[in-house]
Amino acid sequence: MSHNNFFSKITGVLQPLIFSLKYLKGKRWIIYILIISAALSTASRLYVPIVIGLIIDSLEAKAFSAILPAIELIMLLAGVSAVSTFITNFGSQYSSQIYAYNLRKKLVNSLTKKKVKFFQGNSSGDLLSRTTMDVDATRNFLMNTLSQLIPTIMIIIFALIYLSFLNFFYALFFLFTVPVLVYIGIIFQRKQRKHWMNIRKQYGEMTERLQEDINGQRTVRTYSLEDSQIAKFQDTTDSYFNEYMEIAHLRGFYNNLMPFIISLAATGVILYGGYTSIIARSQVGNLVAAVNIFNLVTMPISFLGRLIVWSENARAGIGRINEVLKDDMDEELTTSGNFPGENDVELRNIKIIKGKKEIISNLNMKIPRGGFVCITGETGCGKSSIVNLIPRLEEPTAGEVFIGGIDVREIPLDTLRKNVSIVPQEINLLSGTIEENIIFGRSAISHEAVIKAAKIARIDDFIDSLEDGYETLIGERGLTLSGGQRQRMAIARAIVTTPSILILDDVTSSVDPETELNIFSEIVKNVKGITVILVSLRYSAMKYSNETYIIKDGQAEILEDLESLDIFGYGDSR
Amino acid sequence: MTESYENAEERVIRTLKGRKALFRMVSDIAKNRRGLSILVISVITTAVAGTFIPLTIGEAVNSVNNRSITGVILFASIFLGLAMVQFASNRFRAISSTEVSQKTVKDMRDNAFKSIHKVPVSFFSIVKSGFLISRITNDGETIGDFLTFQIPQVVSGFTTVIMSIAIMLYLDFNLTLYALIVLPFLSLFTISLQGKVRANYLKTRKTIAAITGNLAENIGSVRSIKAFNVERYVEERFDGLNEENLRANIKASRLSSFYGAVVRVIEFLGIVIVIYAGALQLQSSLISIGILVAFIFYVQEFFDPVIQLSQLYNAYQSSIVGAGRIYGIIDSEKEEVPEGSRDKEDFTTDLSLKDVDFTYGMGDTLKEINMEIKRGDKIGIVGHTGAGKTTLSNLILKLYLPKDGEIDLDLVNTKLIMTKSYRDIIVPVLQEPFLFRGSIYENVRIAKKSATDEEIREKAKEFGLSRIFSRLPDGMETDVGELGRNLSEGQKQAIAILRALIREPDIIIMDEPTSNIDPFSERDIFMSLGKFAKNRTLILITHRFSMISLVDKIAVVDAGRIVENGTFEQLMEKKGLFYNMYNILYGKTDSDPL
Repeated sequence: MSHNNFFSKITGVLQPLIFSLKYLKGKRWIIYILIISAALSTASRLYVPIVIGLIIDSLEAKAFSAILPAIELIMLLAGVSAVSTFITNFGSQYSSQIYAYNLRKKLVNSLTKKKVKFFQGNSSGDLLSRTTMDVDATRNFLMNTLSQLIPTIMIIIFALIYLSFLNFFYALFFLFTVPVLVYIGIIFQRKQRKHWMNIRKQYGEMTERLQEDINGQRTVRTYSLEDSQIAKFQDTTDSYFNEYMEIAHLRGFYNNLMPFIISLAATGVILYGGYTSIIARSQVGNLVAAVNIFNLVTMPISFLGRLIVWSENARAGIGRINEVLKDDMDEELTTSGNFPGENDVELRNIKIIKGKKEIISNLNMKIPRGGFVCITGETGCGKSSIVNLIPRLEEPTAGEVFIGGIDVREIPLDTLRKNVSIVPQEINLLSGTIEENIIFGRSAISHEAVIKAAKIARIDDFIDSLEDGYETLIGERGLTLSGGQRQRMAIARAIVTTPSILILDDVTSSVDPETELNIFSEIVKNVKGITVILVSLRYSAMKYSNETYIIKDGQAEILEDLESLDIFGYGDSR
Repeated sequence: MTESYENAEERVIRTLKGRKALFRMVSDIAKNRRGLSILVISVITTAVAGTFIPLTIGEAVNSVNNRSITGVILFASIFLGLAMVQFASNRFRAISSTEVSQKTVKDMRDNAFKSIHKVPVSFFSIVKSGFLISRITNDGETIGDFLTFQIPQVVSGFTTVIMSIAIMLYLDFNLTLYALIVLPFLSLFTISLQGKVRANYLKTRKTIAAITGNLAENIGSVRSIKAFNVERYVEERFDGLNEENLRANIKASRLSSFYGAVVRVIEFLGIVIVIYAGALQLQSSLISIGILVAFIFYVQEFFDPVIQLSQLYNAYQSSIVGAGRIYGIIDSEKEEVPEGSRDKEDFTTDLSLKDVDFTYGMGDTLKEINMEIKRGDKIGIVGHTGAGKTTLSNLILKLYLPKDGEIDLDLVNTKLIMTKSYRDIIVPVLQEPFLFRGSIYENVRIAKKSATDEEIREKAKEFGLSRIFSRLPDGMETDVGELGRNLSEGQKQAIAILRALIREPDIIIMDEPTSNIDPFSERDIFMSLGKFAKNRTLILITHRFSMISLVDKIAVVDAGRIVENGTFEQLMEKKGLFYNMYNILYGKTDSDPL
């Protein structure tokens, strides 16, 4: 092994520590204190065997009067040791918690800055495990580094110093073990790395299988897939189990080899020390002190193996965390500017390419201010992508979007989205009350406004029928709403801020046509001058709109005469 | 009236509490006799070998004092021998502890997974999937770590303490008593802190769970968060929880660090007492130097197990809670298979619903439903949202059982037909199509394992579905993504339809099969459905009238009852509910408001 390689491996183990320093800004002094306290703690703890050795010598020499001062010294050492132990333990936990706190904050901050596109490429389960499990893995490593690794290094240093005071050769025995221990550690780490990666992968697989199976229970049952699903799950748990066993075999050998090496050196000390003491007719205290020091060193060193595992997990975690922290998928924040006075929308020469497919080739569309416009077209033709361009949830490959004659990229993102309300197809309700979900964190919305929005969205009757009304809890631990109720909640949420442009992306599909038309007319009646853009496949909705665009072959054209739609099922079906 | 989520969950998942969960887990572990015996033997061997080490060192010291070189060599060899025994037995311990614990966890997970396939479907309307998943994955991890590391440590700790005391007693009775003086103090101190430790621990668990829940929600809701421009709000909500968690953890670690410091003092006190008492005994020549040395080592040694035992509580608590939860899933009530149930090969004459009543728990969802569906019939079921149409299809599919009345297939109560065989006869296209990870081919193949890509492609073409997939980057090879996110709603539904078609069932039941498919593709699907349904029985649930021409008879459902029945013409003539609904959709403005 070359020197370079060797050192890079050692620094590799410490890489998570360097990473974590970034999130301990202003608190780095704690690290220095911890290093000092670890030194004090181990120095005082390891000094006890030496004092005991001296006592043994005194006892051998029948000098009993020397014992009391020695005992006082031990109690003094106890005081020093206790205080520094407290500092080491508390300080390491304190700083690792501060680290996790700061990192989580930063992660949430980065996530909210990301483009919507980022979330299409990463599954939510995966992002969740990055922000929880991976943070925890790195925190765990930081804590153990500060509370165990640094003290262990100190123990090795002080053991060497003390042993060399006792006897140069005792120190030499110990010195031989250090490179061997480091070498074993590196091999152990290298061998188990692959398995830890597999364990993470299998764990993710297990989670995804569960998620899929539970959410798809109806499909699983009605197609009698129970047995094949169970078999697949058991395959995953089998592989998971096997990876753990591989690691256990490695651990069983390498991790136990470390304390054994120490014992080997201790045997050398007993033989050498015993022999020389007998020959030199010297006292036995030094030997007892040396063996005691070896004894005290064994336990922390056997923990080294576990630290290496933690480091492995932490390094994998850091890699995954960094992918979230990277800013290459951040939304661009436009500087100053106001929302235009007019709310007409124009899409000019829009081109959208997704993957290799050109979804939209050259689309032009003009939506007049105060208009109620419907966009329709075949499944997968790009309707949602088009409306997502307006509040910049997606960016076109080419072309521009204008509101009131101003390019949307020149409007600050928050101003733009404050004025353009879009109700996406996928509706997300947060855990909280119904009212909280309608207000959705936006400031200065009165209870009256909430009620009004609920009325417009035709969800007020339902809410009133609930025992707790607007205070009813929904979400993870609350009431479950039906598809139609969720859609109407989402409309209420979008309309409560009286936006100047409202986009409804096929959000009334679970609401019956009659209610749907009622909602539309309430919106127009109650929000003066609002421009409404609707994505819909419903004839009744198209008929209600001032204008209907149909997306065809990557372009938009106005559907002049609805009746002319040569489509089965639109006109009289019989 | 409304029951809290916790209570509802507790009703279906009977979580085992405290000792019951522990005993159950112990008996599960005990099933792996071989692994467990190896584990116990190796742990005890390691501990026993460890307790002989101080004695050996003491004897080595005595040999030096007696100027016996052979004694030094002998005891050094014994010392090395003990280390070798520990090396070997520890190896077995590492392997068998992983085997025993991971096997236990694997079985728990597998059994929980099996169990969720046998519970009634209503289970999933109560238990949220997030909780179910985290119980099986997270809680399983906690248990695995606990069993792998903590349990062997406890066994080894106990063995060490008992063996050490035994050897000390054998060496010198009086000095043993002195050495043990500190133990009661240590125990009292440990026990006195337990209440606080427990409270602190629970608080940290609660706050971290809140963080995870909040993150899950935020990540899942990112589109709405962006669309409504509420990033700041979300961040502030999170910050509050993050801070609470920080505070709880700092409080907990302050206490545990204080405990560690005090234990350090007690440990030194123990050493001092032994030295002082030993010195006095040595003065009166009651013991040798070697024995005193051995005692000093013993006193240092039984502090580690005691500290470890005190730290065990947190891990014990969370794994017992976790185990109780997983057992709760395993034990949840299964769908019963009534006696006398048998397989049914095919469908020959009719499917009939007789006075069927059903409720999900509050109020009536369906009331006095009577229907007779003859082989070859094409029945439409229409009605407003919430009228009970989907519930009706759930009952016909046997996903739920009627509260009253019965559903008969060829005069056999479906309750008494083995579910698996029943589902070969009847196949649904559900309202919310569900996709598994994988390609479109793979997703269709779940309905018929033997179907080749070629066959699936042909089927898609035959039924006019190819066009819908042709837009996708890789056609039918396209990976549908997590929960089918790479596809549009319409594409998902097309897959669901293809699945049903390829299975070629006797009865096909469709619940709004084209609600998200554009009218353009709908026509293609529609034409081919007509062809496919020709020799089959079709039950079509819809509020889209475009599909009505596929059926011969229509039943109109309103508020859980069938209110109208007949052919399209009959219903239009009747000028009832059906007539009104039709007019609203097709824009006849003279419709009467309902």
